[in-house]
Amino acid sequence: MAKKTYDLLFKLLLIGDSGVGKTCILFRFSDDAFSTTFISTIGIDFKIKTVELRGKKIKLQIWDTAGQERFHTITTSYYRGAMGIMLVYDITNEKTFENIVKWLRNIDEHANEDVEKMILGNKSDMEEKRVVSTEKGEAIAREHGIRFMETSAKANINIDRAFSELAEAILDKTHGKEPQDAADRVTVNIPRERNSNRCC
Amino acid sequence: MSILRKKLSEFDDILNADEIDTVSLGKICFHGVPDEPGGLRPLCWKLLLNYLPPKRSSWLETLKRKRELYNTFIEDLIVMPGESNAEDKERVDVTLHDHPLNLNPDSKWQTYFKDNEVLLQIDKDVRRLCPDISFFQQGTDYPCQKIVSANGQQRLHNRVQHTVLKSANVERKGLGITKIAVSVRKAAEDYAPLTEGGEAHWEVLERILFLYAKLNPGQGYVQGMNEIVGPIYHAFACDPDPTWRKHAEADTFFCFTNLMAEIRDFFIKTLDEAEFGINSMMSKLTNQVRANDPDVWLRLHQQELCPQYYSFRWLTLLLSQEFPLPDVMRIWDSLFADESRFSFLIHICCAMILLLRDQLLTGDFAANVKLLQNFPSMDIQIVLSKAAALAGKTL
Repeated sequence: MAKKTYDLLFKLLLIGDSGVGKTCILFRFSDDAFSTTFISTIGIDFKIKTVELRGKKIKLQIWDTAGQERFHTITTSYYRGAMGIMLVYDITNEKTFENIVKWLRNIDEHANEDVEKMILGNKSDMEEKRVVSTEKGEAIAREHGIRFMETSAKANINIDRAFSELAEAILDKTHGKEPQDAADRVTVNIPRERNSNRCC
Repeated sequence: MSILRKKLSEFDDILNADEIDTVSLGKICFHGVPDEPGGLRPLCWKLLLNYLPPKRSSWLETLKRKRELYNTFIEDLIVMPGESNAEDKERVDVTLHDHPLNLNPDSKWQTYFKDNEVLLQIDKDVRRLCPDISFFQQGTDYPCQKIVSANGQQRLHNRVQHTVLKSANVERKGLGITKIAVSVRKAAEDYAPLTEGGEAHWEVLERILFLYAKLNPGQGYVQGMNEIVGPIYHAFACDPDPTWRKHAEADTFFCFTNLMAEIRDFFIKTLDEAEFGINSMMSKLTNQVRANDPDVWLRLHQQELCPQYYSFRWLTLLLSQEFPLPDVMRIWDSLFADESRFSFLIHICCAMILLLRDQLLTGDFAANVKLLQNFPSMDIQIVLSKAAALAGKTL
């Protein structure tokens, strides 16, 4: 077996309507590049990136999903194992914002209760086409008690920050607040290379 | 005689018969249809997909009928309320009968708005089909005249274009000086529609998929269908014979419809568990891997690397996203020629996995998912020969 080159493994999931830029966000984060020429994601895609947080090497296993309804049975099976979910909409497309509620319901139904969530309003570089105001995005996030950020995969705005904040939130949760309060802490199962969720 | 010449003369013999022997045609196509002369593949696919009947003498009549039917679809189904009276010189008060706020489900406007949701999805997908080649962004020699010469009004992508109401930011600075900043629109998109009178290939595909969705309301449009229609259209639209090429759109529509009739279960969520649904295809694949290489099967099983992670896409799209277009064409020759469609598809997928055996046996979960999701470039003949061996055939 290969030697473990990381301390922790976090599984993240990107969801949201088709065309909001999930694949572009992931590509920007993993390869630090932007491409307008992406084919549509069918089923589920996968990327890995290792980041360093508070002196710990954290391997992020990120699953990118297809947006259309047809693929939901396939993609919802990944919700269960996810420790963090990024819910993406497109600030230039009202409908994708309205559907946030629908996606949140999906998370409630299929994901672990304590999954860390974050809402991303993508394409923030396209100010002249904006139809969803920042305030509206913030409001829905506040209403559901979720972190929120506006991003641009194209202009590389807030992409790294979004992933590190999400990873940090998971780290806080899984590792409590370091030794002193270790006694009354519930033991958290730190996932290893092999995922524990069932599939197939 | 060279091997190619011999092969071509075999094709000639089969295709020039008064009544084409489809079994022999399937056999010879299974080994691949030569790229040259260019017209061979489109003709064989039209036969293998049961669009052209085996009897040559009935081709003219069949084609005429189908192509006329396709024109009627365009006229009847690309409904433009408000435009329907365009030919009448007099203005008709449309509000009396139907209007955009009409809540009646029979309202043409209701249909129009519902259609636009489907259209929006299709529009997003056809614009991002095969981005590595420029073909689909180029203009077709045969745009749909009814549509391109109608002042841009009826073009499908116009119906779902993102438009923003013109607005200006009014800024007040000190002493009542008011500055009005009018926002400036950005440059044209990559997949910009062509100018009046022209039509890009992706626009043609958009129309085909939209008509298919309209005619198959139980299924509608599902992402990935663009990847199925793309290679067929590419083959037909590149036919060197203009008498065929001219009708690429209508011919593609019917061949695509016939093909979808056989694979549509993959695209329907409620049929996932059914006999020909995607889940059963994936378990057939898993079983075949297990039977042929228990070590690889065990490895993937232990890593809990589910077939959904990679083979869902392989099977649903008939491998069209895994290989470059010329290889996809070659694979599809064999797939369409398979007498028990689509069992050879499973053999190809199995061969792909077995060919990666050494890497899979040493890689960890993440490396293996990545490997399977991004199949390394490889001579397609190697994959197909392996698949044929698994199927008990020679290639």
